[in-house]
Formats: sequence, structure tokens, C-alpha cells
Amino acid sequence: MTLEHRVDSWRFAGKFLKRVLGSQIPSQPTHAPIPWTPISKPVRTSRVALLTTAGVSMRGDTPFDMEGERQRPTWGDPSWRRLDADATAQRVEINHLHIDTALIREDLNVALPLDRLRELEASGEVGSVAPSHYSIMGFQGNDTSTLENETAPAIAAAMISEEVDLALLAPV
Amino acid sequence: MIPAYQNIVGMPRVAAIEHPFARPYGRAKDVETQIAVLRAALAVAEAAQAPGHVEHLPFVWPEPPEETQWHPPVPSPIIELINKRRKG
Repeated sequence: MTLEHRVDSWRFAGKFLKRVLGSQIPSQPTHAPIPWTPISKPVRTSRVALLTTAGVSMRGDTPFDMEGERQRPTWGDPSWRRLDADATAQRVEINHLHIDTALIREDLNVALPLDRLRELEASGEVGSVAPSHYSIMGFQGNDTSTLENETAPAIAAAMISEEVDLALLAPV
Repeated sequence: MIPAYQNIVGMPRVAAIEHPFARPYGRAKDVETQIAVLRAALAVAEAAQAPGHVEHLPFVWPEPPEETQWHPPVPSPIIELINKRRKG
């Protein structure tokens, strides 16, 4: 008999973060009804966009606001950035005060695997790479209203305008 | 990363993975793992049949937690605030 693998949410968090974050998470679901859009076509014919919460912005674009968070520790920049499909670590800025961003500067693919997505496109496993990809900055403090009510709809609208079929969000 | 958040957020499809913060797709230059994770996540998107589907991916991080780097060079402002309050 093999046991199904279950991901331990806290394996890498450490005791302190587990206590702080874990105390905020109920043991039973409290979320609103989950929206559902059925997959309309197989991945091999879908246009795919990637999203990251790593606070990535193209060089020359306005970076995520870290100074504001330093001034108000319970606040996190709720804005979003559009990223080029050929973005590389050398062409982006990464601003996030809760992780070691040097790990992502070393290889953007650890958080935003655009090179890998292009490889899947080349091999025919993915229909196409979307023209744009997206980043938010994951720490939102105690107010997620702007992220939910303004940022997420704006990103969704941008994806729709580029005929994205499938979006993959990887939190960091 | 922290799939327990599903109880609050209610995401349509979740590919849960036991990788550390900052590197959900794997280590730098580990092309094989990065593409395997991406492929697995896309497969979950295709396989899920109902809202709230959670699939636990079988990837195992190659370092123990105590040797795994992810913390920022200095504590984040909220952690500093919490520590300050704890010390009174």
C-alpha cells in the first residue's frame, strides 16, 4: 500500500511563522463560493500566462513600493506589473521584503519559469506563450481589498485582451 | 507553498508543492525540476473537474529545512514590529 503524498504547508516556515500565520487559518473552509471556469481546450492548444507574487517589475517600470511598507509594516503594495514574455533576471527588478530575492535574481525561472514555458511551447506541450505575464507583491498586510477589487480584475482584463486561455499563479 | 490558505482563499485549482518560499519551481539552474513542476501544474489545470480541486504534487526538496535558504537578509518590517511588541 502506498500513502498519498500530502504537502506540509509549514515544513519550511519555521516555528515562529507557523504560529503567526497558522493561527490566522481556520481548520475548516471559510471562503466564498469558488468561481469555476471549465478548461475550454487542452493545454497543448492553450495560450498560457504566468503570474508570480515575487514583486517583479521590468527595469524602467515603477518598482514595487518597499519604502511604503517600511514606513507602515502592516501595509503591502497592492499594485501589479506587466512583464515581457522574454523577461530575464537581468531585465527585471525584484522587490519583496519577506524572502531572499537574490535566489530569484540568480535564475528567474525559480519563480517565473518563462524559459521553461517556451520550451514546452517548442515541444508542442503548450499551445503558445502569452505576450505578457504578471507580478504582484505577495505581502498584503491586513488589507487585501485593493488586490481583490482592483488589481485582480485588471490583470484578468489584461489577460482577456491577449486571449489567454490558462493562467498559472505561483506564490513565493 | 502554504496550501492551508485554501481554507481562506478558495482557489479553483491548486497544485500544492512542498518547496520553500521564493523558489516554487525548484532551485536555480535546475532545469529538469523546473520544467517538471511546470508540467505537473499544467496537468492539474487540465485534470481538475470541480472547484476547489487540490492536488498534492510529489516533489521532494533536496535539502532539509534547516539548510534551506529563503529568509530575507534582514527581517521584514512586520516581523520586526511583532518582535518589538513581544519584547514590550
